[in-house]
Amino acid sequence: MSEYHLNKLLFDTAGRHQMVESISDERELAAYDLSPAEREALRTGDLTRLYELGANPYLIRRVFRPRFAI
Amino acid sequence: MGTIVAGCLTSHAPNITAKPAIADPQQRARFVAGLETMRRRLLAAKPDVLVVFANDHLQNFFYDNMPAVCVGLATSYWAPSKGGAEFLRVPARQIPGARDWAKAFVQAGLERGFDLAYAHELEFWDDVSVPLHFLLPDASIPIVPILTNCVAPPLPRPHRSYELGAFVEAFVDDARPGAERVALLGTGGQEIRNWIAVLGALHGRKGDVLAYEPVPDWLTGCGAVWMDV
Repeated sequence: MSEYHLNKLLFDTAGRHQMVESISDERELAAYDLSPAEREALRTGDLTRLYELGANPYLIRRVFRPRFAI
Repeated sequence: MGTIVAGCLTSHAPNITAKPAIADPQQRARFVAGLETMRRRLLAAKPDVLVVFANDHLQNFFYDNMPAVCVGLATSYWAPSKGGAEFLRVPARQIPGARDWAKAFVQAGLERGFDLAYAHELEFWDDVSVPLHFLLPDASIPIVPILTNCVAPPLPRPHRSYELGAFVEAFVDDARPGAERVALLGTGGQEIRNWIAVLGALHGRKGDVLAYEPVPDWLTGCGAVWMDV
């Protein structure tokens, strides 16, 4: 169960005030204990999948802000 | 015994200050007018301290150590912080904290069966900054933030928020000096527990809806309610 680490990556990204469309930097991804499904969803910026995998919706909205119309 | 002199309920959402122009102008005007009425009534009540029931949005707390209820013990708070100011589009500023009050409250809780977490440093985003942008523009009243986990399940039961509010009321009644005037603010767009806490402190009393506007582009129902005390 690595959803903790998925949220940790998003929390750390939010803490740097970074707002992105997806997260595909392999070195960044390698720094967290993520499942293959989590890595793939981050790489492709699949927000629905990230939510299903347990990413906190507040962190999703904060980090992937450019993906939201409002 | 101290006295609860005001009870306020408001919504918060980042776009209220970040993107005012995307709301219907008439809805925005009615909501802001409601907050202005609330601000005037709050100042007229002459509170010595403002207890703010709010919630973190994972900017202070994380899943490594998640408090169900956390009381701020700082002498001042960034509301908003510099990072928050960027997306809220209001200037970063500091608001004084009523540390002695907060510390006595935590102590009373631990002695009387309400195990409260505490934090000596907290930064605020829309949770506290947006309502206080309208209600406390000159930062003239020290605050006691009481943050309930509303965003990172598992969450405390809503009834616990009612008990939390009732505990604040009992604390003001039993443990505070006679001349002290305490105002309460519960704020949440989607975080209804913060409203429930104020209602718990006021034991079934009613209030005036100063404004209610569901604003889709702000992603929240925008309410302003002035409670009878």
